[in-house]
Amino acid sequence: MNQKIVRMIALGSFALVVLLSASQTRAEDSKTPYSSMAPLDQYLMTDRNAEIALARSAVPESISRDAEVLVLGRHGYETAVKGKNGFVCVVERSWMAPFDDPEFLNPDQRLPLCLNPPAARSHLPLTFRMTELALAGLSKTQMFDSIKAAFDKNELPMPEPGSICYMMSKQQYFGRKYGNADPHLMFWVPKTDDMFWGAGLYGSPVYVHQYSPEPITEFIISVSKWSDGTAAPTD
Amino acid sequence: MNREIVKTIALVVVLSAAWRAHAADAKAPYPSMAPLDQYLITDRNAEIELARSAAPESISKDAEVLVLGQHGYEIAVKGKNGFVCLVERSWTTGSDDPEFWNPKLRAPICFNPAAARSYVPFTIKKTELLLAGQSKTQMFESIKSGLDKGELPTPEPGAMCYMLSKQGYLNDHAGHWHPHVMFFVPLNDSQTWGADLPGSPVLASKDIADRMMVFMIPVAKWSDGTADSTDMH
Repeated sequence: MNQKIVRMIALGSFALVVLLSASQTRAEDSKTPYSSMAPLDQYLMTDRNAEIALARSAVPESISRDAEVLVLGRHGYETAVKGKNGFVCVVERSWMAPFDDPEFLNPDQRLPLCLNPPAARSHLPLTFRMTELALAGLSKTQMFDSIKAAFDKNELPMPEPGSICYMMSKQQYFGRKYGNADPHLMFWVPKTDDMFWGAGLYGSPVYVHQYSPEPITEFIISVSKWSDGTAAPTD
Repeated sequence: MNREIVKTIALVVVLSAAWRAHAADAKAPYPSMAPLDQYLITDRNAEIELARSAAPESISKDAEVLVLGQHGYEIAVKGKNGFVCLVERSWTTGSDDPEFWNPKLRAPICFNPAAARSYVPFTIKKTELLLAGQSKTQMFESIKSGLDKGELPTPEPGAMCYMLSKQGYLNDHAGHWHPHVMFFVPLNDSQTWGADLPGSPVLASKDIADRMMVFMIPVAKWSDGTADSTDMH
């Protein structure tokens, strides 16, 4: 993880160079509710322990207690708690939302997730890269282009087989429309058809999100309980 | 969550070793294979319908459907979406499962394309061997040999299946149990899902004989859209 942070800082320097042009693009995005980054403080959590607890709430305590925990600092994610089971828990911010999501850059969004070891290896680099770009103040368009280029150049990894993450936190917040949604698991695979899992069809318990520009497909399965053991809404 | 029942279901579907009862035990309810007719479904259309009930109609309507004949599984309906639906019988349970020869067992499953390529061959092979007269021991030895020689596959990435049939009968203890999806992964990836830990929604079953791990996630609704009635998922 430390290597990632170092790389993040290096990239931050690069990002400063393009900051001016970023401000121009921001103006083009002004029609969306969150057209540009809010002040950084709005994305940060002042209470480090609260962020650790929130990150861990993504998954039952039986898994999270031995997981590595990352928290967001002014220059990117930092390791707050070292783990020993290969899982990594983190609170993602709204720049990890789909680029066309109205909540993209919403400073209120908090998405705790715990990734299993294959996902920690192959998905977190994307989280780190997006965070670098966001903290550097790039526009949505610039972020999109940068991520696309990174995948085109194989600078970011494809999902490893068996890459999954838990999102079972009752405190998760997707935005005003979806609130805390429901507890669910997500599965990342190299871009494939929805039908690979029969997802998105009428009656299917599997939902799907096709990333763009990332060549990644995300399958989603809702589960019945939050990480604290309480029942989720049935509908 | 009743872990014992969960384990029981796992056995039925994926050769779990959770049950420790000895098949040779005189108290075993199904000590040997019953007459073949007891495992067959005489109404071919009923078996097709039962197989399809494993997944929502939006998936099963275009799936290939296999039915069990006198010598093994046969293609009853050609598919066009890569999914394969069939009704597994009791011999896909583990070798030490007391219900290994339970003729009442009916486990409808729809496999996605990756599982159709990398899991269904096990079901077909086991069935052919047993219906050809091999003993249970011989059948498992043949499976071991097939794996050693690379004649049987390892689970492909993304191999999964649906078991959402309310009409299934997975064993004498749990009946149709609960609707769920299952994932097949290589055995050496077994520790990475956080399964079977307290509070985890993922259940695991180690399938030693087939050298794969099976993860199960209960879901809220049956394939007909009705809600599962209890709190098990």
